[in-house]
Amino acid sequence: MIAYVRNIQDACASIFDGMAVTFSHLFRRPITVQYPDRIPRRIQETLPDRTRGHLEVDLDICISCRACEKACPIECIVIEDVRIPKDSVAGVDGKETARVKEPTRFDINLYKCMYCGLCVEPCPTGAIRFTKEFEGATDDLSRLHLRFVTPERREVVLRKGEGYEREQAEKARKKAEAAAKPEGGKQVDPPAAGEESKEGDKE
Amino acid sequence: MKALRTEDMTLNMGPHHPSTHGVLRFILTSDGEVVHSCRPDVGYLHRSIEKIGEIMTYIGFMPYTDRVDYVCAMNANWGYALAVEKLAKIEVPRRAEFLRAIVGELNRISSHLVALGTMAMDLGAITPFPWALRERERVNDLFEEICGARLTHNYVWIGGVAFDAPDGWLEKVRRFIDSFEKMIPEFNRLITGNKIFHERLVGVGVIDRKTALAYGISGPNLRASGVDWDIRRDIPYGIYPELAFDIPIGGDALGCIDDGYARFVIRVREMEESLKIVRQCLDRFPHEEKEHRTRIRKVKPPVGSVYVASEAPRGELGFFIVSNGTEKAERMRIRTGSFTAMSVVEKIAPGLMVADLVALIASLDVVAPEIDR
Repeated sequence: MIAYVRNIQDACASIFDGMAVTFSHLFRRPITVQYPDRIPRRIQETLPDRTRGHLEVDLDICISCRACEKACPIECIVIEDVRIPKDSVAGVDGKETARVKEPTRFDINLYKCMYCGLCVEPCPTGAIRFTKEFEGATDDLSRLHLRFVTPERREVVLRKGEGYEREQAEKARKKAEAAAKPEGGKQVDPPAAGEESKEGDKE
Repeated sequence: MKALRTEDMTLNMGPHHPSTHGVLRFILTSDGEVVHSCRPDVGYLHRSIEKIGEIMTYIGFMPYTDRVDYVCAMNANWGYALAVEKLAKIEVPRRAEFLRAIVGELNRISSHLVALGTMAMDLGAITPFPWALRERERVNDLFEEICGARLTHNYVWIGGVAFDAPDGWLEKVRRFIDSFEKMIPEFNRLITGNKIFHERLVGVGVIDRKTALAYGISGPNLRASGVDWDIRRDIPYGIYPELAFDIPIGGDALGCIDDGYARFVIRVREMEESLKIVRQCLDRFPHEEKEHRTRIRKVKPPVGSVYVASEAPRGELGFFIVSNGTEKAERMRIRTGSFTAMSVVEKIAPGLMVADLVALIASLDVVAPEIDR
């Protein structure tokens, strides 16, 4: 009988002990915030720098090496590109990287993306990177299919590609002319021939 | 007086039931409140992760290990990285080993917090759950800062870790463990010492040493049954051999053994031990070493196979990889603690009340995606 009463007493005591802990929370600073409104700043601004939100691509420094496309485990990145006359771009770390291709299509399917970060890591120029934007809820899936190359940009890149084609045709024509020329002619114009073969090796 | 004729009733518990952690189904036959048999029906969360491991490159499979057990993604990453590193003989810089141990133990704390909180909630105590999740959020904040994600971290990579600790991160970890240390006694006051909670768990779901070993139970559930076995100490990996920590096991020292309460208390004690480990890692952190990753573009292990087990919060998490010498695995097999823990339910459940079955499942700390993979 005594044990029975003591049991009830213990139960009550431990309830009040637990309640004391709960009660003490009334006087602590709350850690919850009222998302998404009623906060002084947008939540995106308060996130740490490494936050893996939506992906974005800086096409001005993209060299279309397709390292991201290969690294992606779920193939959510689709790239199409053309050869352009060789130039160079400065990556985010300031390092110059040669560019021989430029994308005419760079799509990221954010609804397939699992935000793992494997595509960001191998990028030589830092063109593909995470933003802090994460609010992707939408009633229209196509909004999550990001097409970074705009039609206007595509036109510009295609014209560059045509320039490259003309360059190549010009080189091929010169080479053919050089080959057609007699022995003496070849000695006049060796550097062009050498450059041509180098280009050929790269391809 | 003639005895009342009673009949067994088949009861379907789940797949969507508030007390099954994830999508789990149990087919019970019960006579009134007493369970006569209980058959766990697993597979509702099967995503064929093992098969995906065979069509992905070794590096590309890493994000999927997050999804094997999302409550302790760091430990799953780590377990996989260990297996591939052993297979392909990749060295890991010392700085990375420390970072791995820190995030691994922090993830153990956050995983145990989920386990303890949900366990209390399954038994009707609502307050400990937000309490535990509040503390877990602080761990998630730390993880978000170091790797950018709160749940599927993909932080431990083959050959090291993805990022070095940002400036001031280690101090933040120290501040967290200092404040969390004071929170554990509060948690004990809130729920562990509660008489009603005690009554609900003591002597419920008893798994004795022999059964635990026979069913291959591992991790805290095994240690609660009094078996002194912890992979961190017994098959050491990472920097664990250099660290001093106790392994709480059920018995006199803990004050309880075999039952649901022992499984609860052992997790509280393990959080304390994890704090010890993190503190040692912070004290000995190799600031002078700068490299946090061996840079690798391709992983092409030689032909062969490897099994590496690691101690995840839910028990032994082992990766068995058969390599055929290419960039993709020939066979990928994942051994998880929740699966074996689930199998023992069938043995233990007969004779329990339905409400106690809930306590048993909660105390085993199963996570449905880890059972099915």
